[in-house]
Amino acid sequence: MLEIKDLKASTGDTPILNGLSLSVQAGEVHAIMGPNGSGKSTLAQVIAGHEDYAVTAGSVTYKGKDLLELEPEERAREGIFLGFQYPVEIPGVNNAYLLKAALNAKRKHHGQDEIDAFEFLKLAKEKMAVLGMDPKFLNRGVNEGFSGGEKKRNEILQMAMLEPELAILDETDSGLDIDALKAVAQGVNALRSPERAIILVTHYQRLLDYVEPDVVHVLSGGRILRSGDKSLALELEEKGYDWIREAANA
Amino acid sequence: MTALALPDKALATAVRQLPDNSLADNRKAALARFLERGFPTTRLEDWKYTDLADVADISQRWLENGAPMPSAAAIGERIAEIRGAIDIDWIVIENGAITTGMAESAKTGLSVATFSELAHVPGFDHPLADLNAALLPDGLHIRVGANTTHERPLGLLIVDGADSQPGVAQARISIELEEGAEAQFVEYHTSIGEADHYANSVVEMSLAAGATANYVRIQGRDRHHTQTHRTAIRLEASSTLRYSGFDLGGRLIRNDLDIDIAGKEASALVGGLYIAGDGQHIDNHIRIDHRVGPARSAQEYRGVLGGHCRCVWNGKALVQAGADGTDAEQSNHNLLLSERAEIDAKPELEIYADEVKCSHGTTVGQLDDAALFYLRSRGLDEQDAKRALTRAFGASIVSHAPIAIAAEHLAAIVERRLSSLTDGEDA
Repeated sequence: MLEIKDLKASTGDTPILNGLSLSVQAGEVHAIMGPNGSGKSTLAQVIAGHEDYAVTAGSVTYKGKDLLELEPEERAREGIFLGFQYPVEIPGVNNAYLLKAALNAKRKHHGQDEIDAFEFLKLAKEKMAVLGMDPKFLNRGVNEGFSGGEKKRNEILQMAMLEPELAILDETDSGLDIDALKAVAQGVNALRSPERAIILVTHYQRLLDYVEPDVVHVLSGGRILRSGDKSLALELEEKGYDWIREAANA
Repeated sequence: MTALALPDKALATAVRQLPDNSLADNRKAALARFLERGFPTTRLEDWKYTDLADVADISQRWLENGAPMPSAAAIGERIAEIRGAIDIDWIVIENGAITTGMAESAKTGLSVATFSELAHVPGFDHPLADLNAALLPDGLHIRVGANTTHERPLGLLIVDGADSQPGVAQARISIELEEGAEAQFVEYHTSIGEADHYANSVVEMSLAAGATANYVRIQGRDRHHTQTHRTAIRLEASSTLRYSGFDLGGRLIRNDLDIDIAGKEASALVGGLYIAGDGQHIDNHIRIDHRVGPARSAQEYRGVLGGHCRCVWNGKALVQAGADGTDAEQSNHNLLLSERAEIDAKPELEIYADEVKCSHGTTVGQLDDAALFYLRSRGLDEQDAKRALTRAFGASIVSHAPIAIAAEHLAAIVERRLSSLTDGEDA
């Protein structure tokens, strides 16, 4: 589904990704772990198409297409979803508007009719109930005045509504209490299917207790240093990141 | 003669042509005052950014043609359009003449009459108000009786049109709310026609003790027409004013809103939204004079600017000696959608009292890149994302308009106007 080869990316004059390669198949859940500044968030932003990051070398192929050629909105309509580490507050644009506009943009792209108002409301309320969100959030400005946990739940709600084929969740677990963490994990697990892939970008292994990854990668210095199964995450938790850097340098 | 004067004789002839009613003597006096000073020029601090040369030029050409009453064939359609858009009773002032609506509005229980019927003489010593008084055929006077409440808004439609020759028109409205009275007004300015037009209007309103006025002004003039508009409001003790002004049209627009806080515990909440595109100049000057305290005023204005345009926002709160307990806030935020758009934003606080709470904040900025990317990452195309963010910027002012039926109409016309800016028609 996603094939990244020797990807190099920088912001301004600072190189952040230094020859990163990653292959993700449909049906898989990958965890990307690494210390602060290792390039985890940059990777997520580059896949979503953020203009602040310039790709200087390498390729990203998604469902056989050159992803780097696509605008951010085209990527979204093709089934890519980025759960932001810091979701933006947008006063005056309400959640219902955003969810509906996003859903309809995708439907239109795939030659489907717009969702009708009744169906939309039913679907949104259903998904919100699963996430333990009050339906009144629909009429509030996007993330406006939301707590950290509410913002992350809202990201998962958008993901649940859009049913992406490739979801990248950037530190969605950070700053969550245990209830919110469980709600987020439940949202992610509900999305798991043989047709979809999920990339969890995380600093800690905590989320992985609830969402079991198929593959764990360790990112450092803009490259993947090591990949393994879920036991790698536990090893990192125990030994820290220095261990892996030393092993890589040896 | 000052730089922006009008020819004495032609102007005097124009004044003599007006209907002979009880305003005649006052017109002559006002004419003499106007001739002494002429139009305000950019040498005055208050007029630094707004040059009335254009307005003087249109007036001059109108006078050269013999100062005819302007006309436009499609004016009736425009009136019908506005009536259809906001379903309330309307009094219509057409190129300065009160044409329809007097009888209907009387049914609402408000006392409505012309200045000449009441032998009411307009005062207000300012060159533009003097010009207005000199050339005014007649004015509209509205009285809201003591302790009466009027839930249904009264519409005041100032409509102008000039099809073939340059036109100039004056409109004047005087509103008096007696003690404890409560009323709502929608003042709507619109214009049509290919020829140049200059409208000069004055609205005076007084709120007696305990009165409440909710007021919405909507200015949607033709994009090549000009207007100067003065509003003076006096607030007595414990009265409440909620005022919102929306400027969407016009080529050269200058609004002066002067509020006189004359009684304790009075409250003036004023706000507005100006939207300017290519070739537009919109200037809003607000002056709130806190003569006594405690009292409260708040100014909340926003602007959206696209294309090659210029807007001016000058909000002043003056707190006089002894007006202790004054609470005055000002905020002005501007969204610039184009590099050729210019805003001159100036909040002013002048305080002579000791115990006051005053604050102001002004910002000028572009659309937030992070918000734009967030929306695009959800599948909205760039244009839709820009439109949503721009609409959101103006939404708070629209939703705070104190009259629901006007707010609904505004939501629609503001969205259309903003779309023309974000979609590049005005860029």
